[in-house]
Amino acid sequence: MNPAVPTWEGVVASLALVALAVAIAWRQRLHLAREITVAAARAGIQLVAVGAVLLLVFQHAGLAGAAGWLTVMVVIAGQVAARRARGLPAALPVATTAVAAATAATMGTLLVLGVISPQPRVVIPVGGMVVSGAMVAAAVTLTRLRDEAATARPAIEARLCLGLPAAQAFAPHLHTALRTALIPAIDSTKTVGLISLPGAMTGLILAGVSPLTAIRYQIVVMWMLLAAAALAALTAARLAGRALFDDAHRLRPLPAATATPTGNGRKSPCLELSRDQAEGLSYPRRVLARARSYGHRR
Amino acid sequence: MTAGGPVLFSLERVTVRRGGALVLDRVTCQIPGGACTAVTGPSGAGKTTLLRLLNRLEEPDVGRVCLEGRALPDLDVLALRRRVALVAQAPVLLTSRVLDELRAGRPDLTEEQAAALLDRVSLPAQMLTRSTAGLSGGEAQRLCLARALAARPEVLLLDEPTSALDATSAHAVEQVATSFVGAGGSVVLVSHDSGQTGRIAGHLLVLRAGQLTSTAPVQPTTSSREDR
Repeated sequence: MNPAVPTWEGVVASLALVALAVAIAWRQRLHLAREITVAAARAGIQLVAVGAVLLLVFQHAGLAGAAGWLTVMVVIAGQVAARRARGLPAALPVATTAVAAATAATMGTLLVLGVISPQPRVVIPVGGMVVSGAMVAAAVTLTRLRDEAATARPAIEARLCLGLPAAQAFAPHLHTALRTALIPAIDSTKTVGLISLPGAMTGLILAGVSPLTAIRYQIVVMWMLLAAAALAALTAARLAGRALFDDAHRLRPLPAATATPTGNGRKSPCLELSRDQAEGLSYPRRVLARARSYGHRR
Repeated sequence: MTAGGPVLFSLERVTVRRGGALVLDRVTCQIPGGACTAVTGPSGAGKTTLLRLLNRLEEPDVGRVCLEGRALPDLDVLALRRRVALVAQAPVLLTSRVLDELRAGRPDLTEEQAAALLDRVSLPAQMLTRSTAGLSGGEAQRLCLARALAARPEVLLLDEPTSALDATSAHAVEQVATSFVGAGGSVVLVSHDSGQTGRIAGHLLVLRAGQLTSTAPVQPTTSSREDR
């Protein structure tokens, strides 16, 4: 028994901390006591179930089981990312393909180069991190692309009216979306170890591995997350960029909820917006904040 | 045919629906080449939609639009848009410098050609090196018009190009339209201004609630000979 890992008695004892959070919520009349209790219970039940299934996979299913597990994660991640980009044409297939392509390429490279061992107990947790990073990048890219297409419709159509093909007319907006999507991965790579000790490294240290060994894993994790984010963002942007236009190089209609709130969205004075976009200044703070919060969650 | 030359555009029972609402209802009309055609009518009558049909920014749900007898879907859409340039009501600038703006649709434009374009829309040539950030609404609209002219189109589609401009800028835009027609080009102009349509249009289409209520010649277009 690893002394660093809590016993079941210890787990039960840590419920005291949940009780503390519930007490604070109750005393402050936040009306969150019930939600905290349900969240804590759900976390416990979900993790017990995942632990049991992982045990089965590790002992009986082998590498094929790990691949199946990763496939399920990719499908769920695709749905989550697509929900963020609701209103974007073909959001679900685009998001799922982006996450799948990024996961396959990143994991394939790690396995082919022998960086990680082809065992379920390695492939599943590492793959989970890759899927998660790819999902965040795909979601930010698609959300940003949808918002750009809706708010910058006059600028996009102005380029189309000059006879530019759809890809060229949308290129500045696609670059903006890609930059926004990659900021969280770049920021967390830059600050790793300074602001917080990352998960993989922390886990290895808790399991008794030497910090100098643990950092080797973490370096690989950070680099693979950069690749996964870049691949997912690029795939999502390319596919969504095509889905936004029809064969006649016309920007497809977007739902009213995401479009410019001025009638048909074509007559709004958009001079300043277009100038900002031209000068690369148009990162709405709301989207940047969302992008950064994704990074912190990871 | 009416004022102007042979038929340029023909619309045959064109119907456009948007979200269940009828925007254009079985519109059949012809737009002559070598003339300025004004499209008028109250707000929401479908004027802008009609204009956007002519360079395939919109597609009819029913009916067809032809250019010189050929259905628009049979033409290369990118070539069509270079041939039929649309200038929107609100000026949309795409770059940070005036010269770059003029090169947006024609990267090989020389500085001399760019200066000549500015002159055509009554803007000073010294403006070429300026940032687009400090332009007034009238200057921005005229720059958009010059940007469209840079691609040497045969047809100009102008969507209420002077509705937000002062008298000087509006006059400059009208002069460009008139000289463009004088040089053999065609203009389709959406306008609420009856004085303006009387001054520059030779042919009139009146839309009301998506239906074409009248089509008539206005008066011969006065033109000055300038290179298109």
